[in-house]
Amino acid sequence: MTFPYKGYAGYYLDVDLTKGKVHKKELEKEWARLYLGGSGVAAKILWDRTGPDTDPLGPDNVLVLGTGPLTGAMFSPSGRMMFAAKGPLTGVWAESHVGGFLGPEVKYAGFDFVIFNGRSKKQVYLSLRDGEAELLDASHLWGRETDVTTQMMREDHKDPTLETGVIGPAGENMVLYGSIIVDFYRAAGRTGLGSVLGSKNVKGIAASGSLGIEAHDMDKYLEANEQEMEKLRAPIWNESLSSLRKYGTTDLIAIINEIGRLPTKNHWTGFYEDSDDIGPETIAEKYRIGQEACHGCAIGCKYIIRVNEGKYSTGPIGGPEYETLMAFGSNCLNNDIESIFHLGKRCDLLGMDTISCGKSIGFAMDLYEQGIISANDADGLDLSWGNAETQVELVEKIARREGFGDTLANGVRKAAEMIGGEAWRYAVHVKGLEASGQDPRAHQSIGLTYATNVRGADHLRSLSSLEELGYSEIVIERFGKEKADAILDIMSPVHKGEVVWDMEDLYAIVDSAVICKYGTMWPPVFYYDTFVNVIPHLTGMAEWGDPKFVRKAGERISHLRRAYNHRLGVTRKEETLPPRLLEDPMPTGPSKGGLPDLDYMLDDYYKFRGCDRETGYPKEAKLKELDLDFVIEDLKPRGMTR
Amino acid sequence: MKIFLTIDLHKCTGCRNCELACSAERTKSFNPKRSRIQILKDEPRNLVVPMVCLQCEVPLCEQACPNGAISYNEKGTLVVHSKVCIGCMNCVTACLYGGIEIDPKTLKAKKCDICWGDPACIKACEYKAISLVEAKKEGLKARRKNIDIAYQTAGMKTGEVQE
Repeated sequence: MTFPYKGYAGYYLDVDLTKGKVHKKELEKEWARLYLGGSGVAAKILWDRTGPDTDPLGPDNVLVLGTGPLTGAMFSPSGRMMFAAKGPLTGVWAESHVGGFLGPEVKYAGFDFVIFNGRSKKQVYLSLRDGEAELLDASHLWGRETDVTTQMMREDHKDPTLETGVIGPAGENMVLYGSIIVDFYRAAGRTGLGSVLGSKNVKGIAASGSLGIEAHDMDKYLEANEQEMEKLRAPIWNESLSSLRKYGTTDLIAIINEIGRLPTKNHWTGFYEDSDDIGPETIAEKYRIGQEACHGCAIGCKYIIRVNEGKYSTGPIGGPEYETLMAFGSNCLNNDIESIFHLGKRCDLLGMDTISCGKSIGFAMDLYEQGIISANDADGLDLSWGNAETQVELVEKIARREGFGDTLANGVRKAAEMIGGEAWRYAVHVKGLEASGQDPRAHQSIGLTYATNVRGADHLRSLSSLEELGYSEIVIERFGKEKADAILDIMSPVHKGEVVWDMEDLYAIVDSAVICKYGTMWPPVFYYDTFVNVIPHLTGMAEWGDPKFVRKAGERISHLRRAYNHRLGVTRKEETLPPRLLEDPMPTGPSKGGLPDLDYMLDDYYKFRGCDRETGYPKEAKLKELDLDFVIEDLKPRGMTR
Repeated sequence: MKIFLTIDLHKCTGCRNCELACSAERTKSFNPKRSRIQILKDEPRNLVVPMVCLQCEVPLCEQACPNGAISYNEKGTLVVHSKVCIGCMNCVTACLYGGIEIDPKTLKAKKCDICWGDPACIKACEYKAISLVEAKKEGLKARRKNIDIAYQTAGMKTGEVQE
């Protein structure tokens, strides 16, 4: 039987790197029906193929490249794709999403998923073209930075339309937060999946295709699509959209500092006095030279910069996102914007996550101030706050795993273990993943988001912008009038368990479709009804026209990823926050005195999630309701269901 | 009056939604390689090079076709008659602007025919970079300005474009 649904390429690729063989297989019908694509399907694959004994950097780990039905299917913004594996930085569920043009091209080349197994004896990259796949020699690319690699691949194939996802020296050297760089300056940055590719001797993926994607009912799908686009064009979102188009994500520096949530000085506080120096106006006025957009995207948040003179001068490059400005800027008390551009650029070329890298350097600067380490421990570097030159040097050392860089290349959790003493108190992470650019002491629900996020401390699995930006109409529509006041109070923990639970399931669908957080997280335009509207016409999966079925799918994906982590030992005890964010009241700024009431929110969240309050383990009845009987079979004998 | 498409390079973000809209309209599928408008990108040089038929006054593609497959329709638009086209690629070689290509599925030449005056790409461009203009002074000027970048990729300097 052939794969029955449209909107998909209909095939996946099982790559046996150890034997150097590729196996093209028909996409499983049930993967699409129950898990949609992207994160959902990746969760099923990783659940089946990896577990507690899997070494994240060993041949037994499995790296999944995933797209979704909306990838490349003209829904805006849908130039997205994802990668997932057991994470080398955290040891738990790891996924990272990226925009650009590779995801759609993989589908046009004839594949929805690629599963990398084993370890190649030789350095290779995977080439996908019109239903054919082959592993090609990458020895001439090994050691090269990501831009050169991409250009060489395009030249090798004599194809300027070739789209790529590649690793740099950091991934090859297995820096635990090595990234996968797509189309020059877009990064699947978090959780170190580039290093999983590196451990398998895989330099990257190159795709070019002309097979195209069909719709179940093209006319109805385009009509539904247009209805959704009308929502995005509604006057209430004008301001958000024009901000994203003018400033990209850099505007967040100003917005977030204003509410005292901008991580500053290794998360010591949430307010940065010099934020204007690294903020949106400075960048737009002096450095921005153009706007860019991912495949088929109407939002277009990407921007291009150029620095004409000085030691950090550069030709056109993708400008840094909010997170990069925060990680190397406020977080390290560095207000020299040109040095931050340079640091972001180097991380992209070396193939390294800017958040984990900036946070690891900020952590070292903190330890230096506290007297826990000295210049002697750090190859003689002056680790004073704001020292941009030290930052630049450390970025290169980390990528090469040289000297003190070798310690920081392991991320803050492991580096703290290696350094010993009180260092752990300054390691701001959850489950081993360095915290992204938020702070729960200024935004209660972020605390719950960080604690429960399956990949560790970041915002992308369940952040709610509703109370942050005061979208009262949306709150009333989604949660009812009675709950609105408490939800809209950014410092109240009340009902935040429900909000985060709802967002997590929504983003589970978003990450499986696969579309962007812009248009879903902020501005919060697309909701469950969007998928109910477009998925059936695109795919022909009639069940997805039922709102209950769609919500249930979101819950199913959330639970499967959680179960994956339970099997690796994660319980309520691990769903917590680092001491700095949980115990030290915010010392300065607009949110001074703030602390998250995590226990209250966790209790609430577990209730909605259908989990046991003491352990965080899922209730058997809940798993049964979600057709996750195979999870019960595995977890029950381990005592991990209730 | 003859009409053609112009693309404002300052507005184009290179998102390629026009390719998707074109392929959906003309091939009932999402397949940029089959689109009649193509956006080529050279990221390290920050170049976005939109390529679409310019409806030239002296069409090299028409002259190069050995089978007479390219001709004007009743609206004065240059079109390919795919039943007559033999897929020899002479037109592709002849066109300086990348305005005509071989469809990877039909293996016949494909080029923009302005959707009979109501182009799908214009509606799909959220950045309002594509417009339909008449072959008067302003339109000709816009067309010339917007192929400048294609000339730059060939190593020529800005402003060198001939009338």
